[in-house]
Amino acid sequence: MLRRAGPSLRHFLLERKSSAGYSSYSSEATMSRPVQARRLEGIDKNIWVEFVKLAATYSTVNLGQGFPDFPPPDFLKEAFVRALSGENHLTHQYTRAFGHPPLVKILAQFYGKLLGRDLDPMTNVMVTVGAYQALFCCFQAFVDEGDEVIIIEPFFDCYEPMVKMAGGTPVFVPLTPKAPKDGKLMSSADWQLDPAELASKFSERTKAIVLNSPNNPLGKVFSRGELELIADLCVKHDTLCISDEVYEWLVYDGKEHVRIASLQGMWDRTVMIGSAGKTFSATGWKVGWIVGPNRLLQHLRTVHQNSVYHCATAAQEAVAQGFQRELELYGKADSYFVQLPGVLQQKRDWLVQSLDAVGMKPIVPEGTYFLVADISEFKSDIPDVPNSDEPYDSRFAKWMVKNKGLAAIPLSGFYCEAHKNTYSHFVRFCFAKEETTLKAASDILQKWKREKSSP
Amino acid sequence: MAFRHKNTRRIEGLDSNVWVEFTKLAADPSVVNLGQGLPDISPPSYVKEELAKAAAVDRLNQYTRGFGHPSLVKVLSQVYERVCGRKIDPLTDILVTVGAYGSLFSTIQALIEEGDEVIIIEPFYDSYEPMVKMAGAKPVFIPLRYVSTFLKIISELANKFNSKTKAIILNTPHNPIGKVFTREELQVIADLCIKHDTLCISDEVYEWLVYTGNKHIKIATLPGMWERTITIGSAGKTYSVTGWKLGWSIGPQNLIKHLQVVHQNTLYTCPTPLQEALAQAFWIDYKRMDDPDCYFYSLSRELESKRDRMAQLLQEAGLNPIIPDGGYFMIVDVSTLNVDLSDVDEKQPYDYKFVKWMITSKKLSAIPLSAFCGPETKRQLEKYIRFCFIKKDSTLDAAEVILKNWVKQTA
Repeated sequence: MLRRAGPSLRHFLLERKSSAGYSSYSSEATMSRPVQARRLEGIDKNIWVEFVKLAATYSTVNLGQGFPDFPPPDFLKEAFVRALSGENHLTHQYTRAFGHPPLVKILAQFYGKLLGRDLDPMTNVMVTVGAYQALFCCFQAFVDEGDEVIIIEPFFDCYEPMVKMAGGTPVFVPLTPKAPKDGKLMSSADWQLDPAELASKFSERTKAIVLNSPNNPLGKVFSRGELELIADLCVKHDTLCISDEVYEWLVYDGKEHVRIASLQGMWDRTVMIGSAGKTFSATGWKVGWIVGPNRLLQHLRTVHQNSVYHCATAAQEAVAQGFQRELELYGKADSYFVQLPGVLQQKRDWLVQSLDAVGMKPIVPEGTYFLVADISEFKSDIPDVPNSDEPYDSRFAKWMVKNKGLAAIPLSGFYCEAHKNTYSHFVRFCFAKEETTLKAASDILQKWKREKSSP
Repeated sequence: MAFRHKNTRRIEGLDSNVWVEFTKLAADPSVVNLGQGLPDISPPSYVKEELAKAAAVDRLNQYTRGFGHPSLVKVLSQVYERVCGRKIDPLTDILVTVGAYGSLFSTIQALIEEGDEVIIIEPFYDSYEPMVKMAGAKPVFIPLRYVSTFLKIISELANKFNSKTKAIILNTPHNPIGKVFTREELQVIADLCIKHDTLCISDEVYEWLVYTGNKHIKIATLPGMWERTITIGSAGKTYSVTGWKLGWSIGPQNLIKHLQVVHQNTLYTCPTPLQEALAQAFWIDYKRMDDPDCYFYSLSRELESKRDRMAQLLQEAGLNPIIPDGGYFMIVDVSTLNVDLSDVDEKQPYDYKFVKWMITSKKLSAIPLSAFCGPETKRQLEKYIRFCFIKKDSTLDAAEVILKNWVKQTA
């Protein structure tokens, strides 16, 4: 496909080069220019496309992409079957665009209880196609060209391209590791923001900060004090907070997940994102939601009605029933929101032990189902390539899946281009896996350790 | 401190939406709803069964391939290879999206930007205009003229093309009018696209719903058009499952790859169990595409008789509906009913006021045609309303009762 050079000319079939920019674009209408929109510049690469393919091709044990290999709970599957069967044919037709009424009602009730607020299901809640689409709506609704958005590194990779696609400028601030106490394993809590550095990132162009707690990939659960630090800056600079809380139920060791929207001055400037995929171990359902004040949600509704408009009905109905059950069982031993973190904590501990036993140093996560480990002890098998464009950890992860069948994600995937080489020796493992999977991973690692120790 | 966080420029003025307004009004269960394009007939049972089967498979509850579930893109490539008579690569030439709506959005975000003009034929499915605006581009409208053939306005259409024209949006079969563009008409559009090096965004969601004497032709199959056309389809319209929200874009790799970039930066992947179920349903019908029992054809036959019944009901009420050649909508001029709404002092077009009045006083809903018009044409078509007839017999029976009583009252 070519562009406007009068009569069509095949030799103008341009492929977009990676970062050459649109230098050939001129105001003359007769100049040819690329067919794709400029908003796609620099956002075409995606780590998942590459690594998911590698895992599908080579892995025998996939601890890479974040999804459980165990099923959603029975009560949720049963709710889905109920939604599909029976006389209610409307299950297969459009529901309310901003969220299926039973679902937004129960979400309003549930989060109202958690935040100590009266929430209106019609104006304070919106359902999206996964938390991913919720994030997209937020950036499109609030980030204009020239706006800055603060992103804490390491970050879930989509934040950066979404900010760019909205014409915004991502501004990065790192979590940096403090040395753990002697003899102890590093914890995700040891990765911290420097308050002065964080404050320096706020300017009058700062539109929003993206907060992800519990954090993917580190598993950090921001403490109340850390959140207050962020909140104070948001209030001081009149900044929005896009709070990605998809792992809100997956916190361990009795730690508390504090919702930043509940802090002083924050409700009016925060949009809180949740996910049925993570909450109910059903990532393939793609049901997410946003909770916040109407004066922010109204703009999210505008984006939503002009992009996807409706979300699929049946899964929303099932998730609504799932939440109904959880509301009734809230805080009780039978609650899935109690059981799932209990089960995952054990898996976490198991993987931590397996990694530690072979010399991969795990950073013990306070939350999420991810764990980052230092693989320096295993570097000998994958030699450094000087002047390589590709970060070491990425080459390591690719080598590992191809040669050992074990899939993980390089930590550099969670850093911006400029900072990809900050750490070269960490990979992320997902431990939301059956025991057999985790055992198989351990076997691979043990064998690898034995082989590498032999001369 | 004053709250400075208003909406971004890209969504300025895009907050109102005819559906949000009218679906709320029609939600009253005592209203006979012939408004929103929502079937109240059941999808075929094997479609529902496939979803129940898919839901029972554990791994189908987790993420699938972002650009489209493998079994779904495979069967879509087979079905459309057959229809188009050309090879279609399931991985590079197809993107699965959240409804055809998501395909329109992905296409426009991928290929349209500030400085571009996009030609939209009026009346039009209402989302085209705000989506083009949200991409920063300028919609350029051209009206279909009632009763004249499209050929008569070719000079008018040709005038709308210029060096800024990035794309034309084509919708055939057409919502709301029900027009099925003929080969000659498509050739006119194709010639202009080729001459001006323009893209064609072809919304063909009603592709299977064409009535006797008409044939759906894909503009992408015309010479010189495959490389510049994105063709959009919909599971909701194909299988009467609008609530599944699955659609697809099909086109050449060098265009689809940009849609895929948008997709991976907007929602990444579509739901898995729905895609698997849709794939299985498609396999069933793919295998019987030579058989008249194939759902693609049987639904069309079923709807043709509903179309004829709807037309009859309206004619018996003294109205003159425009009989559609495709799709499941019918438009009708209501001015002969002489409903005086001049005392309703809203600044809305007549048909908005009429439909609201009809909902409250007659318990019958429709959609005002001016919702499908650009600013200059709204007043010209404000006496028309759109009825949806993909409704079960009892719904059409109820509509008949209302219309008969209406006639009686005015007699």
